[in-house]
Amino acid sequence: MHTGGVLNILGKLLLLIALFLLTPIPVSVYYDDGMVDIFLRCAAIGAGAGALLILIFAPARELNLRDGFTVAVICWLGLALLGALPYWLSGQVPSFIDSLFEAMSGFTTTGSTILTDIEALAPSLLFWRATTQWLGGMGIIILSLAILPLLGVGGMQLFQTEMTGPTKDRLTPRIQDTARILWSVYLLLTGVLIALLMAGGLNPFDAVTHAFCTISTAGFSPYNDSVAHFNSLYVEVVIIIFMFIGGINFAMHHHFMRGKLATYWQSEEFRLYLGLALGATLLITAFNLHGTFYETVGDSLRHAAFQVVSVFTTSGFCTDDFTLWPSASQLILVGLMLVGGMAGSTSGSIKTVRFLLFFKYVRLQFRSLIHPQTVSVIKLGGNRVPQEIMTAVLGFFALYFMIFITAALAVTAMGVDLLTGTTAVIATLNNIGPGLHLVGPTHSFAQLPDAAKVILTFCMLAGRLELYTVIVLLTPAFWRTARWPELRRPKTRPTVDHK
Amino acid sequence: MRIMIVGAGMIGQHLSEKLSGEGQEVVLVDSDEKKLRRLERELNVMPVVGSGASPRVLEKAGIEQTDLFIAVTDSDEINLIACIISRQYKVKTRIARVRNEDFYAQGTSRVEKTLGIDLVISPDLAMTEEILRLITLSQAVEVAEFGHGQVDLLGYQAKAGHPCVGSTLAELRDLQRTYHFLVVAITRGETTIIPRGDDKVEVDDKLYLVARRPDVPLVEKLLFATTSRLPRRVFIIGGGSIGAQVASQLEQLRIEVRLLEQDAKVCERLAEQLENTVVLNSDGLEAHDLLEEDIDQADLVIAVTSSDTTNILSSLLAKHHGAKKCITLISNPGFVPMLGKLGIDVPLSPRQVAANMILRYVRRDGGGRVVSVASLLGNDAEVVEMKVPDHDQFVDLPLKHLTFPYGSIVGAIMRGHQTIIPTGDTRLAPDDNLIIFFTSDAEQGVASLFDK
Repeated sequence: MHTGGVLNILGKLLLLIALFLLTPIPVSVYYDDGMVDIFLRCAAIGAGAGALLILIFAPARELNLRDGFTVAVICWLGLALLGALPYWLSGQVPSFIDSLFEAMSGFTTTGSTILTDIEALAPSLLFWRATTQWLGGMGIIILSLAILPLLGVGGMQLFQTEMTGPTKDRLTPRIQDTARILWSVYLLLTGVLIALLMAGGLNPFDAVTHAFCTISTAGFSPYNDSVAHFNSLYVEVVIIIFMFIGGINFAMHHHFMRGKLATYWQSEEFRLYLGLALGATLLITAFNLHGTFYETVGDSLRHAAFQVVSVFTTSGFCTDDFTLWPSASQLILVGLMLVGGMAGSTSGSIKTVRFLLFFKYVRLQFRSLIHPQTVSVIKLGGNRVPQEIMTAVLGFFALYFMIFITAALAVTAMGVDLLTGTTAVIATLNNIGPGLHLVGPTHSFAQLPDAAKVILTFCMLAGRLELYTVIVLLTPAFWRTARWPELRRPKTRPTVDHK
Repeated sequence: MRIMIVGAGMIGQHLSEKLSGEGQEVVLVDSDEKKLRRLERELNVMPVVGSGASPRVLEKAGIEQTDLFIAVTDSDEINLIACIISRQYKVKTRIARVRNEDFYAQGTSRVEKTLGIDLVISPDLAMTEEILRLITLSQAVEVAEFGHGQVDLLGYQAKAGHPCVGSTLAELRDLQRTYHFLVVAITRGETTIIPRGDDKVEVDDKLYLVARRPDVPLVEKLLFATTSRLPRRVFIIGGGSIGAQVASQLEQLRIEVRLLEQDAKVCERLAEQLENTVVLNSDGLEAHDLLEEDIDQADLVIAVTSSDTTNILSSLLAKHHGAKKCITLISNPGFVPMLGKLGIDVPLSPRQVAANMILRYVRRDGGGRVVSVASLLGNDAEVVEMKVPDHDQFVDLPLKHLTFPYGSIVGAIMRGHQTIIPTGDTRLAPDDNLIIFFTSDAEQGVASLFDK
């Protein structure tokens, strides 16, 4: 493992984030909330730390697979620490653990919050909160691959740690170009969404913050009652559509924009994703009507659709408190939480495609019970799925439930009740946001013990980087390969001496 | 530039690594999925699984946008068919590796014309050419030419007793008043350094120097007390196609050749083909056979059997018994770094030679600022050609005022059709091409040399 090279990349990323720490300043000036000084200080700290790392450690000549994991985890921890500073230094979130929780929840596009009164925060801080989600959605490492000269050869090992799903689409020969395409699509969709929201009468601040948190399927709203604040059918429909778009593979958006209109429908994963969303919406609409929770079909459909898409894509916005819904509706929502959007999207959780492959595998087992001599393969979109991918998918499920049980056990052991404890873990591990009961949409994570918050913060990171990346770093065998960091040697000599 | 490489064998891998490292868009097509997945992790290339001779696969790999098509699988037929298929697309340059002599023996140009292939490359033929270049050109162990063939990059092994050993480069520099040469790199053990004035030449160093071709014999005499002349007695071990071709070429130069081949039938055929060469039925590992043929009088041993171990051992055996120099074919690139220590003078890998020939061809007319590279110096150091931008601040600027990163040096300046070996006082002119040698540490600094 090339420790020096990893730290050098961390330095570059910190510089990039320091740059983004300057973006809330115009907001602060406009609303005159007195945060300019705080953000300048945070940016200076970030830039200083980044520059120091770059100056001390030489860039890596090559990065192997292990370095990719280390870069991802160390950089995400570094980002969360830096991102927590504005909350903490401004004193608006007095506890550092709370600030870290909020920042990690932001970057991992989780959307869980420890704030009990969100609107009490300074507007510029709320803007920073939304920015972290937007950056984390497509991924900060992918952004830096796109715009920084991070590496000479390779790059896949960095790309794959942050891109979601069991297989990664490479759109172009050079990974930098792929990263550029993905971020351009992301930027374009964000721009369209901002325009649509402003057309619905939102002020620029609300439009930008909501757009940032919608397209990244993240779910931080600057209002206590989330999207219900606007009480506008138009805004809700726009947000439903864009949360859904955010949960689709961004490579498909690229193909679609290039004129391949059938892209979406050709994908088995997309058909399942759409089917699940529609089915769940209809079921919940019916259940909620039956439980006479809503008076009219329209009302029931409106709230069911919003909550379903929000939870399914792991956004976590809400227009109503679904903890008051009938138990069957709640159970469907928890089920959707575990599935999540498509691979290659900004959504969290296990991903639709893994479930698809999982069920295909189960079907294969049935077949071989009925026809013991049969030879069959698992196909996805007409192509055979290699055995390694299948093993990785099954391993993912096993690892997922191990982490889930361990984390839930630890949280409930601290005296948190069963429903709150387990759904808090689900909500963070799947990067959703709200859970049920005491961590439901109208509550916050504030009342949980500090130790539980630390565990949930870890769950968010593990969920965003899709488990393996984080867990492999916890194995002793991984660290045996670590080397002492390579320091920089003197870089230039004053004049060339070569007569 | 978008480049498609069909075949992820040794040549394909070497080309992918070099070209993608330069920032080109490389698509690598091969039917071995596992190998591709490993390469995708190591290199910045897009892997496509499938046969290169299938239009469907080529289209999936984006042949429509491809500028340069290189077919280097192990199969001649696949390479040729792939190139033929690529003709219906707007590919600008096609290169195919063809091993079977029957396909090009009639005259390479004709095959190239009928099939629309720009460069047909045969690893064996490339190897033969490289060996002949090493023999006929000079005492250097490695040679690469650039600057329209006016300037050579030559590698020499410094030995005890050579006049250059023990002197600093500053002292050698004074010789430059009369001869145009420049020491651009020294390989010591396994590391390559770009030397400075106070670095001393030590025994067993490998010296790389840039020199104008007419000056090469004099420079060699001065630095290594040798006179460039052809070897008189040459032993060739291995009667495969490389051995046979080298032997017949050397015959024409009136060099006394002994060719050792272990297969009696092959020996008969060789004896029929060759005129003055003494064909011996021996595997080259019998000390007795070698001594009987006066191996101690040999000026050069060329070991080119298909087995690396035989090549290494027979070269060492010959040198032990008094042969002066050896050229040894090594297929496994992993062996190369340790061979210098063992006493092998010139290790040559046919695939590397073929890949370098392709790279030279590609870079000769390639766009961008990095125009040509000779990758001679192992993995630690590289050579690039950079154009001086047409900015006022660079016009007439003496070279010594340009800030170079540590570990880089300008080896030559190409100005129009003229090639200059520079000193610190040489002044830049617009459109000069600088040939810069650098170690990997200095890579970024060199790339941004003119970004001001």
